[in-house]
Amino acid sequence: MKKIYFLSFCFLILFKLGYAQQNPAASISVNFQQVTIDQFVTELEAKSGYHFYYDPIRFDSLKVTVQVNNKPLETVLDMAFKNTNFHYAIADRQVFLTRGREIQTRLAAGFFGTSPLAKSSPNIITNVPVADFTDEKEKKVPEATTENKLYEIGIKTNTIGSGKATLSGYVRDGKSGESIVGASIYVTNTKTGVATDQFGYFTIVLPKGRQILSIRGIGMRDTRRQIVLYSDGKLIIEMQEQVTSLKEVKISAEKVANVRNVQLGVNRLDIKSIKQVPTVFGEADVLRVVLTLPGVQSVGEATTGFNVRGGSADQNLILLNDATIYNPSHFFGFFSAFNPDVVKEIELYKSSIPERFGGRLSSVLDVTNREGNKKKFTGSAGIGLITSRLNVEGPIVKDKTSFSFGGRITYSDWLLRLLPEAYKHSQASFYDFNLDISHQIDDKNNIYLTGYISKDKFKLNSDTAYNYSNRNANIKWKHNFNDKLFSLITAGVDHYQYGIASFDNPVNAYKLNFDINQTNFKTDFTYYLNRKNTVDFGVSSIYYKLHPGNLQPNNVQSLVVPDVVPSQQALESAAYVGDKYDITDDLSLSAGIRYSLYNYLGPQTVYNYAPNLPKTSSNFLDSTTYAKSKVIKTYSGPEIRVSARYNLGDNTSVKGGYNTLRQYIHLLSNTTAIAPTDVWQLSDPNIKPQYGDQVSLGIYHNLKSNTIETSVEVYYKRLRDYLDYRSGANLVLNHHIENDVLGTEGKAYGIEFLIKKATGKANGWISYTYSRTFLKQNDPNAGELINGGAYYPANFDKPHDFNFIGNYRVSHRFSVSLNVTYSTGRPITLPIAKYVYGGSERVYYSDRNAYRIPDYFRSDFSINIDGNHKVHQLTHNSFTIGVYNLTGRQNAYSAYFTQQAGVISGFKLSIFAKPIPFINYNIRF
Amino acid sequence: MIRKWNYIYCLSLLAMIGTACRKPYNPQVISNDNHYLVVEGVVNSGNDSTVISLSRTVKLSEDVRTQAVTNYTVAVEGEQGGNYVLQSQGNGKYEIGPMHLDATKKYRLHITTPEGKEYASDYVEVKQTPPIDSIGFMPKNNALQLYVNTHNAANNTRYYRWDYEETWKFHARYQSDYIVDAITKEVRGRHPDEDVYICFASDKSSTIVLGSSEKLSQDVIFQGPITTIPRNAEKLELRYTILLKQYALTKEAYQFWENLKKNTEQLGSIFDAQPTQLKGNIHNINDPAEPIIGYVSVSSTQSKRVFIDNTQLPQDWIAKYPYDCEQPDSALFFNPKTGIREVEAYIINGGSIPVSAIAPTGFIIGFTYSSESCTVCTIRGRVQKPSFWKEK
Repeated sequence: MKKIYFLSFCFLILFKLGYAQQNPAASISVNFQQVTIDQFVTELEAKSGYHFYYDPIRFDSLKVTVQVNNKPLETVLDMAFKNTNFHYAIADRQVFLTRGREIQTRLAAGFFGTSPLAKSSPNIITNVPVADFTDEKEKKVPEATTENKLYEIGIKTNTIGSGKATLSGYVRDGKSGESIVGASIYVTNTKTGVATDQFGYFTIVLPKGRQILSIRGIGMRDTRRQIVLYSDGKLIIEMQEQVTSLKEVKISAEKVANVRNVQLGVNRLDIKSIKQVPTVFGEADVLRVVLTLPGVQSVGEATTGFNVRGGSADQNLILLNDATIYNPSHFFGFFSAFNPDVVKEIELYKSSIPERFGGRLSSVLDVTNREGNKKKFTGSAGIGLITSRLNVEGPIVKDKTSFSFGGRITYSDWLLRLLPEAYKHSQASFYDFNLDISHQIDDKNNIYLTGYISKDKFKLNSDTAYNYSNRNANIKWKHNFNDKLFSLITAGVDHYQYGIASFDNPVNAYKLNFDINQTNFKTDFTYYLNRKNTVDFGVSSIYYKLHPGNLQPNNVQSLVVPDVVPSQQALESAAYVGDKYDITDDLSLSAGIRYSLYNYLGPQTVYNYAPNLPKTSSNFLDSTTYAKSKVIKTYSGPEIRVSARYNLGDNTSVKGGYNTLRQYIHLLSNTTAIAPTDVWQLSDPNIKPQYGDQVSLGIYHNLKSNTIETSVEVYYKRLRDYLDYRSGANLVLNHHIENDVLGTEGKAYGIEFLIKKATGKANGWISYTYSRTFLKQNDPNAGELINGGAYYPANFDKPHDFNFIGNYRVSHRFSVSLNVTYSTGRPITLPIAKYVYGGSERVYYSDRNAYRIPDYFRSDFSINIDGNHKVHQLTHNSFTIGVYNLTGRQNAYSAYFTQQAGVISGFKLSIFAKPIPFINYNIRF
Repeated sequence: MIRKWNYIYCLSLLAMIGTACRKPYNPQVISNDNHYLVVEGVVNSGNDSTVISLSRTVKLSEDVRTQAVTNYTVAVEGEQGGNYVLQSQGNGKYEIGPMHLDATKKYRLHITTPEGKEYASDYVEVKQTPPIDSIGFMPKNNALQLYVNTHNAANNTRYYRWDYEETWKFHARYQSDYIVDAITKEVRGRHPDEDVYICFASDKSSTIVLGSSEKLSQDVIFQGPITTIPRNAEKLELRYTILLKQYALTKEAYQFWENLKKNTEQLGSIFDAQPTQLKGNIHNINDPAEPIIGYVSVSSTQSKRVFIDNTQLPQDWIAKYPYDCEQPDSALFFNPKTGIREVEAYIINGGSIPVSAIAPTGFIIGFTYSSESCTVCTIRGRVQKPSFWKEK
C-alpha cells in the first residue's frame, strides 16, 4: 500500500510537466463481461498504448463489465470503476489504478503560493470523496466527523442497486465520546426519521444511493452527513457540542419529534434547560422542573411527590438509569435525589407508556445519567447555600471505558444554629453519590454499571432521630446481534429503608426500621423488521422483599416489646411485545401488549374475613399460614398500549392513544404530602392491585420552521382499587393493614395546552392545564362510606394550572430567566361546627375535601452569568443569582383549625412567605 | 409515642427554613345549620361522683363557644340491669353521686330529649384505674417538663388519659400599701384583708393528654409527658401545684381521644394526617346516621397532687411579668411647679393605684402610683388561699 503511494508520488513529480501537454487519447472499443483486472488491463494497454500501474492483489475482487464503442480511455475507466472503491489517474500515458485512495495528479491550488482559490470558503460541498492519506488504519466502521465528506456505506458496487438497505450506527459527542441519546436522524429525501436509543444507537432503513442525513441532538450543534448507501452498513456520527449557546432551552431532542412521534404525552428535558429554571436554593432541581410541565402537579411546595394526570404520587415509576428510586427527595423535600451535575436528561411519559415499562399507574419518569467522558478527565463543582457538589469523569481506558462520579453533601448545620433556641439543637444532613461506568467491549457489546447511594439524617430538637436511604446498583449489557436486532439485558438491586430511633426516655427507647428490597432482571429486544416495522419485545421479573416494620428496644432498660411485622414477598413478572408500524408515510401505529403476572409468596399468615363484609377485626374468620415460597395469591392480566399518529401535513399531526396499567405495590400515606416514613405495601389476598386505564387524544402543530411547537392533549382516565384510609387509620406497625384501608374508585380528566419556543434569544414554554380528579368509596360492604359514597376531589385536584418558563439571552455570557406559576388551591377538609370537649374548643369537620385553600401564585427570577467562553481554558465559571417567590406572596400551603389555650382558631400556613434570594457558583474543569 | 414525630418534624422544618409563616385564616362563612349533640364525661364506677356534660355544636362564626343542653334525661344503665338517673345541674351538666358499679358488668349512658329522641352509648366495660405512682418534673429545652409515672402490675390497663388542674401563687409587680377609701375618697393604708399583692390562680387542662404502654412488655408509663411550662412563666414564680387525674381507657376510647387530638391539636404541618371523621360510641337509637360527638367510658379515677416550689428550679429562671410596668411615678398632693393636685387628679379620680408614700421629711407629701395591672393581682387571680394549698 505504502509502496504504491510512494511510487505514485514519484511519478507525479516526474510527469508533472508532461501532464499539461497530454493529448486527447484515441478512442477505443471494448466489450468486457465479468473479466478480471489482468484481462482488463492487458486489453486496454494493447488498445490504447498507455501503461498501467496497479497492485493485482488489491484488485482481485474486481470483475469488470463494460461495453463501449469508440470512446476515450477515460470513459472506459469511468464506466468500469463507477460506484466502486477503485480509482484511476492518468498522467502522460501512464495510468495508475488505486483502491480506496485516489491519486491527485495535480497539486493543490495555492501549493506554489497564494491563489484566488485558496480564499474560497472551506464549506464548499465537494462531492468527490477525498482520500485522507494521513489515516493509516482502515477502520471497519466509518466515523463521520465532518459534513463535507461523502461517506460510503456497505459493500461498494459500481452500480447502485435499487431497493433499500439498513443503516445502523451510533451517535456520540466528538469531544467526550459520550453517546447522545435521543438525537434525531432525519432523511430529507424520504422524509423519514429515527431517534437514537438510550445508548446512542439508531437503525434506519433507507433507499440505496445518495442520502443526506440531518442530525440534531440536545445541546449539540445541528449537523448533517452525506452518505452513499450501497448495502446494509454502519456509521458512527460524531457531533460537536453547541458551545456558544449554553443557555438555549432545548426541551425536545427533535424539533419535529412532537409532531412525528407516535407517542403522546411525552416530555423530554435536558439538564441545560433544567438548570436555567430558578429554584429555591439555587441548585438545579430535576423534579421541580417536571412540575412545570403540563399535567404535572403537586400538593404543595415542600414536597417532591408529584401527581401526573390525576394519579397519586406513588403511581409514578421513578427510574435512575433503570434503577427504581423509592424516595426521590432529600432534606424534607427541598432537594430532589438527583444530582444535577450527573444527570443528563429526563423523560416523562404521561400517556403513551412504552410496553417495556410497567408496575405503576400514572407515569414513568426516566432519569438518565451522563456517561463519563471517554477522552479526557473533566469535572465540575458547585457551591450553594446548603449543598456542595463535585463531579469527576474521565476515561479508564481511552475510548473504551469511562467513569462518572458525582457527590453532594450538605453543611446545613450552620443554618440551624442561627435559629431560635427551640430549634438550635436540631441536625439535618444528607449526601448522595453516583458512580456510572461504561465500557465498550467491541462494536457489538457494551457494558454499563450504575451505582447510587443516598442518605438523609435528621434529629430535631426532640429526642428522636430519623434517617432514610436509597441504595441501587445495576449492570446492563447491550448487545447488537446484527444491524437489525439489539438486546439489552439488565440486572440490578434496589433498596430503600428508613429508621427512627429514640434515646432519651430509657423505658420507652426504641428503634423502628422499615425497608424494601427488590431484585430485578429484564431483557429488552428491539428488532427492525423492515422499513415499516420496528418490534420491541422482552421479559422482566422483579422479586420484592419488604420488611414493613421492625420495632426493637434501643437499650437494656427499655421495656419496648420487639414488634416485627412479618416480611412480605412477591414476584412481579411481565412479558411484552410491541410493534411500531408505519402504515403509510403519514399514518403510524404503535401497538403493544404487556402481560403482567404477580405472585404473592410465603412465608406468610393471611387473615380470612367473612365475605361481603368490611375487612375489620370483627369480621375476622380465621387465618391461613403458608410455607416459604408458596404462592399465596396470583393476580395477572394484560395491559394494552396503543397509540397512533396521522400527519396532517408537514407540521401538523393528530395522535390518539389508549393504555391500561396495573400496580401491585402501594404507598401507605394518610398525610397530604409524602412523608419519608411512609411505608410501602404489597398487594395480597386482602389488598387488590390497582388498575388504571387512560384514553387520550392530541393535536400537534409546529410553526416557523419548527421553532415553535404547540400541542393540545385531552385525556380521560379511570382508576380502580386505589387505596384510601378509614378515619383514624394507623399505618405504622400495622399487622393487618387491610383493617385500615379502603379501596376507592377514581376518575380524572383534563385538557393540556403547551406552546414552546425552543430556540432563539427568547425561549421557553407556556403551559396551561385544566384537569379534575375525583375518588369515591361507595361500597358499603367495604366499610365506611366517604362523603356518603359520592365522588370527592382528590387532594391534588387543582383544576387550573398555568406555568410560564422564559429565558432571554442578552449575550452569550448573560441571560435572565423568569418563571411564573399559578394554580387553583388544593382541596381541604374544613370544619363546619365547633364545640367544647376535653377543656378546649374543638371543631367538627365537613365532608372530605369539600373546600379549597386560596389560589397559588409564584414568580421566580434568576440571572445566569457565565465566565468567558474560550473553549480552551483551565476552568469555566458560572454564577446564578436569583430570587425565589419574587412577589413574596404568602401562598397557603395549608389552612387548618387548631386549638391554643382552649380557643380554636383558623390558620393559614405558608412555607416560602418571603422573597428568597439565592446564589450558586459553579466551576467546570 | 411513635406518632408524635410528625408534629415535631413539621415544626422544626418550618423553623429551619425560617421563612415559613402562619397567618390567621378565616375563610368565607362556612355555614351548616345543624347543631350536633356533644356528650362528654366519664361514668365513674368508683367512689367519686359522675358528671356528664351535654351540649350542641355551634357555627364557627358564632361568638359563643358552645350551647348547653339542660332539659334532657340522662341515665347510666347496666347491661344486666341497674338504672341511675343523673340530675341536671342547669348548665348542661348532669350529676350523680358515687354509684359503685360492678366492675365485671358493662354499662352505657342513655339520653332522652324532651322531643322523645333517644341516644345511647355502646355498653362499655368498667376499667379500673391504677394509682398514680409519682409526678415528676425536670427542666428541658428552657421549659419545665412535668411527667407522670404509673404502672399496673396486672398488665391490663395499657391505655391512659389524664387531665389536670394547675394552681399557682403569684404576686403583682408592685406592692400597694395604700388604697383609695371607697367612702371617704381619700388615700389611706390598706387593711390586711385588702391586700392585693399575693394571689392564687388556677387553670384546667385544655389539651388532650394520652399515654399507652401497648408496645411495652410491662404495663408501665415512665415519664409520660403531662405538660410543659416555659421557664419565664408566672406559674413558676413562687409556688405551683398540679392535681392530676388519671383515667384508664379501653383501646377504642384511646383511639377516639387520639383521633380527636390529631384532628384538633396536631394539624397544619406538612406531614400531619388529614382531618378525618370522628367516630364516638354514642348513637341515635332510631337514626344511626345522625352524627353524635363523644365517647363515654366507665372507669374509676385516681388523682394525685404535687407542689413545685420556685427554689426547686434553676436559679436563673426568672418569671416575666405579663404586663409592662414602668417604675411607679410620683404624685404630690400639690405640685408647686405646675399647680396640679396630682394625688387627686391621678389617683383619686384618675384610677391609678397608690403604691407607697412619699415622705422625705417624715411627712407624707404624696404617693407613688402605678397601674392596676401592675399592682392588683386580683384581676387575674384570687387572694383567697385554696383549701388544698400547702406552703413549704
